[in-house]
Amino acid sequence: MTSTVGPIGTTASGRRETAAPDGLRARLARSLRRNGPGYLFLLPWLVGFFGLTLLPTVGSLYLSFTDYDLLNPPRWTGTANYSYAFFEDTRFRSALSVTFHYVLWSVPLKLIVALALAMALDRGVRGISVYRAVFYLPSLLGSSVAVAVLWRQIFGDAGVVNQLIALVGLKGPSWITHPDYALWTLIVLAIWQFGSPMIIFLAGLRQIPQEVHEAAAMDGAGPARRFFRITLPLLAPVIFFNLVLQTIDAFKAFTPAFIVSGGNGSPIDSTLFYSLYLYIEAFANFRMGYAAALAWILLVIISIFTALAFLTSRYWVYYEDEGR
Amino acid sequence: MKALSRRDFGRLVAAGAAASALAGGAGPAFAETRLRYIWWGNPDRDKRTNATVDLYHKKHPDISVDRESYAWADYWPKLATQAAGRNLPDVIQMDYRYIFEWARRGQLADLTPMVGKELKLDHFDKNQLESGKIGGKLYGLSMGGNSVALVYNKTQYQKLKIGLPDPLAWTFDDFIKLAKDVQPHLPDGVHFTANKGDNESWLEMFVRQRGKELYTKDGQLGFELDDLVAFWTIMTQMQKDGLTPPPDVQAQDTTGALEKTMLVLGKAITDFTNSNQLVAIQKLMKDQVDLTTLPNQEGNRPGQYMKPSMFISQSASSSQPEEAAKFLNFMVTDVDAGDILQIERGVPADSEVLKHVEPSLTEVEQRMTRYLTLLAKHVGPLPPPPPKGAGEIQQLLYPAYQKVSFGRLSVEDGARDFMQRAKDILKRA
Repeated sequence: MTSTVGPIGTTASGRRETAAPDGLRARLARSLRRNGPGYLFLLPWLVGFFGLTLLPTVGSLYLSFTDYDLLNPPRWTGTANYSYAFFEDTRFRSALSVTFHYVLWSVPLKLIVALALAMALDRGVRGISVYRAVFYLPSLLGSSVAVAVLWRQIFGDAGVVNQLIALVGLKGPSWITHPDYALWTLIVLAIWQFGSPMIIFLAGLRQIPQEVHEAAAMDGAGPARRFFRITLPLLAPVIFFNLVLQTIDAFKAFTPAFIVSGGNGSPIDSTLFYSLYLYIEAFANFRMGYAAALAWILLVIISIFTALAFLTSRYWVYYEDEGR
Repeated sequence: MKALSRRDFGRLVAAGAAASALAGGAGPAFAETRLRYIWWGNPDRDKRTNATVDLYHKKHPDISVDRESYAWADYWPKLATQAAGRNLPDVIQMDYRYIFEWARRGQLADLTPMVGKELKLDHFDKNQLESGKIGGKLYGLSMGGNSVALVYNKTQYQKLKIGLPDPLAWTFDDFIKLAKDVQPHLPDGVHFTANKGDNESWLEMFVRQRGKELYTKDGQLGFELDDLVAFWTIMTQMQKDGLTPPPDVQAQDTTGALEKTMLVLGKAITDFTNSNQLVAIQKLMKDQVDLTTLPNQEGNRPGQYMKPSMFISQSASSSQPEEAAKFLNFMVTDVDAGDILQIERGVPADSEVLKHVEPSLTEVEQRMTRYLTLLAKHVGPLPPPPPKGAGEIQQLLYPAYQKVSFGRLSVEDGARDFMQRAKDILKRA
């Protein structure tokens, strides 16, 4: 999934207006003359933001209170969609549980792997840029269809994994189509895409002053102690940043589940991610209104988790420039 | 890089605008009639359909047909989106599952007024024609007939000297006995038959043999808990006896992709299919494959029926209904079109086309028509049209049966769970 980042909101002119008391029209005209080119250059983004982001967002909020199947006009049903999701829909519940399971395992494990590799690379290994590129590669490929297809092959019934297991004389199950293991293959796939948090960790590690480590070593602190007392606390803002981004990403995960499960969350809904369920409701069952409600519920869930992260961050994230 | 001057920039923009204007005008002239035609398919079907449309354009140079084709799973979202945008193509391929829903919602044109004029249906099979009617109005023309079938690996069957019992009267007991006789002679990892307890068509056939239907005329479930329990008991028992692949292997086949079926993967020597897919399956396999009927139950009541494999329909919003109808007529009754389309979409409903096509059929295609000829002696009536929500219930069968086959629920509990959920879906649809 990609996220769009708009240009930083700047006005064309930073100067304060020394407004003479003249008419509104003249002031508007002057303001337009001064800022007009700025807005003109912003126009493509503004059109995109209002036309492609804000308008559909508002539209989906409206649709979430309707029954809409694309063929007939939407019919207002009040909060029926929401109450169905919360009180009746068992598939909604299992989709939530699969997604939470995925987020709670994949995000911490991915961050641990990313941090471990970042620290290994931070040692100043020879050819570090090559390693960096190689380790980053899965992140670029990871959410792509091709890799998900590859995953099917690797963990399939006659895949590479089972061929390795067969070498020691055992017989592995078909990992991706067994309800006990299918979700775990997707978690492994997520962990494998540790590249982008790793790069960010690497940058963060470079920011930690070497003197602090040297001073601690001088005082007799071992590597483990230095890691927990120096690296981790000083890295906290970066960890926090990665945690928030990865959590949001994990909640929205779609492609791997869609491809690996064949688009239906199989087997026994064990890979029915929330966004996959949303897609099925919208484009297989044509319940656009219900799907819109699901989308808004997901938005609220992600907001709550992000807010929680921010609220707790003051207890564990230390910013150097706060001077505490 | 050299910075662009203002004048260079102006030139560039002008050149770009000119180029796009040229590109826009380069298409066929505006004077002619343009139709839009949309279908779902596979590479083979696309090739045949495109060639047929080209032929139509050659015969009628003033009419050109724009084409869109999608895979089955992408087709319905695309079509629904176009309907929502009031932008439906003039000519639409339809499926038996959806045609009633689309007709009820006023998206499809009633073809009745065109019959005898643009539509010349004198040689069209009466049953196939009826299958496109709702409330006496004609909403689609069958593009071919097919039926469900057992597909088996003939090469392996011959090697093992397996003789099939009378195809019009054999029973599930015969089927299971055959499986038990054959299984010990099969190599490790190969099973007698795929386990399709999650397949809607298998289930439909099974309940029809018991005198029921999947859905009643008023859109309710047409079978009882006992029927489903009986079906799943047979299937899970065969799995336990090793006559079918284990559930995690079988679970690879949940997407409808032929290359993931147990037969094609070499995990089973018998599988379940639609008769018109024989040609495609044979293309994927070295061993020879052939079709036979499904086993029967007590009373030998026919469970199978001749199904219109797909329809060709016209959108209600078409601005040129007569031209669209002429094209429809060409696709289903023209012998030259039949020459190209052959029986890829099932056996043509127009007897003249069928007569014309038959001699040129390949050996594989003849196996398919032979099967349908044999089956024609043992088919029941077309079931009532499936209600809204039927597609969702079909999908529900996969996880519901998997709960049973993976041993998470007993057959009774799993079946009860499925019946309840299916009823909920129908209530909500």
